[in-house]
Amino acid sequence: MKKLFTIFLFVLLLSVTVNAAANMEITFWTHEDPNRTEIEDRYIAEFEQANPGVTIKRVTSGSGQIQELVLTAFAANQGPDIFNMSIEDEYAYIANERLAPLDFQAAGYPSLQAVYDAYIPGVLDPVTYKGQLYGLPLELTNWCIFINKKVFRDAGLDPEKDYPKTWEEMVEVSDKLCIREGEILNRRGFDFRYPYYLVAMVPMVEQLGGQLISDDGKTAIVNDEAWLKFLKFMQEWGPSGRNLGSPTYTNARSLFNKDNNDIAMCHTGLYQEGRIKNDNLNFYNSGEWMVVPFPVFKDAVKDVSAAYYGHYYMVNGQKPKENQQMAWKFVAYMLSHPEEYLTKVNIVQPTVELMNSETYKSMPYSDVFTNDMAKAHIVYYGENSAKIQSLIREAVESVMLAGVSPEDALKTLKRKVQEVLDEG
Amino acid sequence: MSRRTPGYSIERKKSRWGWIFVTPTLIFFLLFSFYPIFNAFYTSLFNKKLLSLKPPAFIGLGNYSYLLKSPDFWDSIRATLVFTLGTFTPLLIFSLIFAIFIMSRKRFQNFFQIAYYSPAVLSSVVAAVIWLLIFDPRGLGNQWLNLMMNTPGIDHKWLANSVMVQMSTMLVYFWKYVGYFTIIFIVGLASIPQSIYEAAKIDGANDWKNFWYITLPLLKPTTILVSIISMLQCLRTFSTQYLFTQGGAPLAPINVITLNIYHTAIRDHQIGRASAMSIILFVIMMLFTWVQFKSSRADEISY
Repeated sequence: MKKLFTIFLFVLLLSVTVNAAANMEITFWTHEDPNRTEIEDRYIAEFEQANPGVTIKRVTSGSGQIQELVLTAFAANQGPDIFNMSIEDEYAYIANERLAPLDFQAAGYPSLQAVYDAYIPGVLDPVTYKGQLYGLPLELTNWCIFINKKVFRDAGLDPEKDYPKTWEEMVEVSDKLCIREGEILNRRGFDFRYPYYLVAMVPMVEQLGGQLISDDGKTAIVNDEAWLKFLKFMQEWGPSGRNLGSPTYTNARSLFNKDNNDIAMCHTGLYQEGRIKNDNLNFYNSGEWMVVPFPVFKDAVKDVSAAYYGHYYMVNGQKPKENQQMAWKFVAYMLSHPEEYLTKVNIVQPTVELMNSETYKSMPYSDVFTNDMAKAHIVYYGENSAKIQSLIREAVESVMLAGVSPEDALKTLKRKVQEVLDEG
Repeated sequence: MSRRTPGYSIERKKSRWGWIFVTPTLIFFLLFSFYPIFNAFYTSLFNKKLLSLKPPAFIGLGNYSYLLKSPDFWDSIRATLVFTLGTFTPLLIFSLIFAIFIMSRKRFQNFFQIAYYSPAVLSSVVAAVIWLLIFDPRGLGNQWLNLMMNTPGIDHKWLANSVMVQMSTMLVYFWKYVGYFTIIFIVGLASIPQSIYEAAKIDGANDWKNFWYITLPLLKPTTILVSIISMLQCLRTFSTQYLFTQGGAPLAPINVITLNIYHTAIRDHQIGRASAMSIILFVIMMLFTWVQFKSSRADEISY
């Protein structure tokens, strides 16, 4: 009896061990995007079928929350196997060596060089660190100006001719498009995407000859005159100036899809086309919207468009080796469908093949995005980019809403960003 | 010796049971209150980054000396004190007034209690989201105020002006918690014996005298409790300010210490510095509580 019990225990223990080795759960945290969920759930089912014993657990959270969820999980050494965020938020994970370098064989490439060759030049630079590659792009995005033609015509403007080409024209056109009830704006012409100062506002400063950080990386806020002109522009834009918009109004991009006569223009990426289609199919099919390039200042010294940014899939370096390999294999499997991502989600995975494909070229206004991207650079990224972005935000808000003079706001901004740089 | 033994043994028996009952709470407290406090203090002595796997450098009181020299930190102290004073004082006064009002009603006492208390049931996040909609330039806040003041088209800039945004956070907090403290005052008022009012009535005291010489002095323990709880809550305020800044409000006027701690830890990854800030906040809270206890003991009244 005793012998039988020992054998039973041994068999039970063995089966548990074998089972544990055969079963592998890969956790995959990403931001909410209903269009992506639909196709990625299918990729997961296909991948699990092709790799028995592997389970992919996909968890989504709001695009504003995922940064702190991933951060706190990593701080407790409990990060997911795979995650993605914007490069400004991801770079700290690379710099702190929390990630697993790309296993090119697991991802199905013959060599690391083959991975670089598959993507358009420069796009993998932000995720290359000490000769290793730490991410593969889920999407590369740049923003242009979306226009509601009906609102233009309602204000007596011809959208094809009168759309703003310069920031000065943007002010004038927006003023004509605004419908006010006293001080309250019932319809705005255009409004900025306020949380994203590095993407949209730093390029405006660069048009005027300014820089966020000097080329040698040692000095913050280069060319006071350019920054001052930019801050004065934003002061004029806000409620204490010409009252054309403010961060306290509902964000323009969300309102645009509804076509409710409350916003004429917004600043967003190609993915917005998929969202308009989802939210308001009639508006999408009506042909009443168009996309135009990012404006430049009249006296710009540099023709720069809004910065582009990438969301990269990354793999947790603290997970066991076999999990890392499986995670890269799964990432590569998802990314082997760039055309479906483009047509169903309207996000661009910047492979050489996709960018030259008919599918990409036939997307409405993809040429406008391509031309603007040629004039843009990648968004500023570094270990402290999130802090620097919030400092620019503080400066812009202080002149727009808190009655601080552009000169004082610039002085504070300069001091604080320099301190961030000096701290390293 | 033989006389003392039985008493001693009963005492011991009693205290053993006392320890048995108290131990779970003590363990809970040690684990979830004292340990985090000591851990935060320990962390505050290092230059610790949230994502770094390298051992953090010991810098002693370096984080504290940095904070005490930082204008941002002093701005946060200012924002916290302004918010606390601006919210705590009306909370204390109005919750007492509302409690007296409710107690003086012959009917609908329960209805008023539920009506005042209901906002306290909402989570702070939900409350802030509701008020964000009200404070939208096209929202109900401007519409109501313009209707009442006959000022059509005026944008009161609830979130778009440094003074107004501070007032808005105070208003939300006041709305959310006034009912909660009203209920505490109602309990305090109900515990005052009716016989004292009856005796005063025979002596010819009017309502005002009753309030001033009976209600207020006998409510002192409740008032101290309410003032300490409300002040500590105000010092710990976070979600309203956080959600308002997410909704586009300027950060600087409402950058209370808790929000600064959050940004320092989560955005800047400086967990050592954030821990030092939370220890300073802890000391401030202890100090205020001690001052309130001290001042309340100075003029104790007994009947």
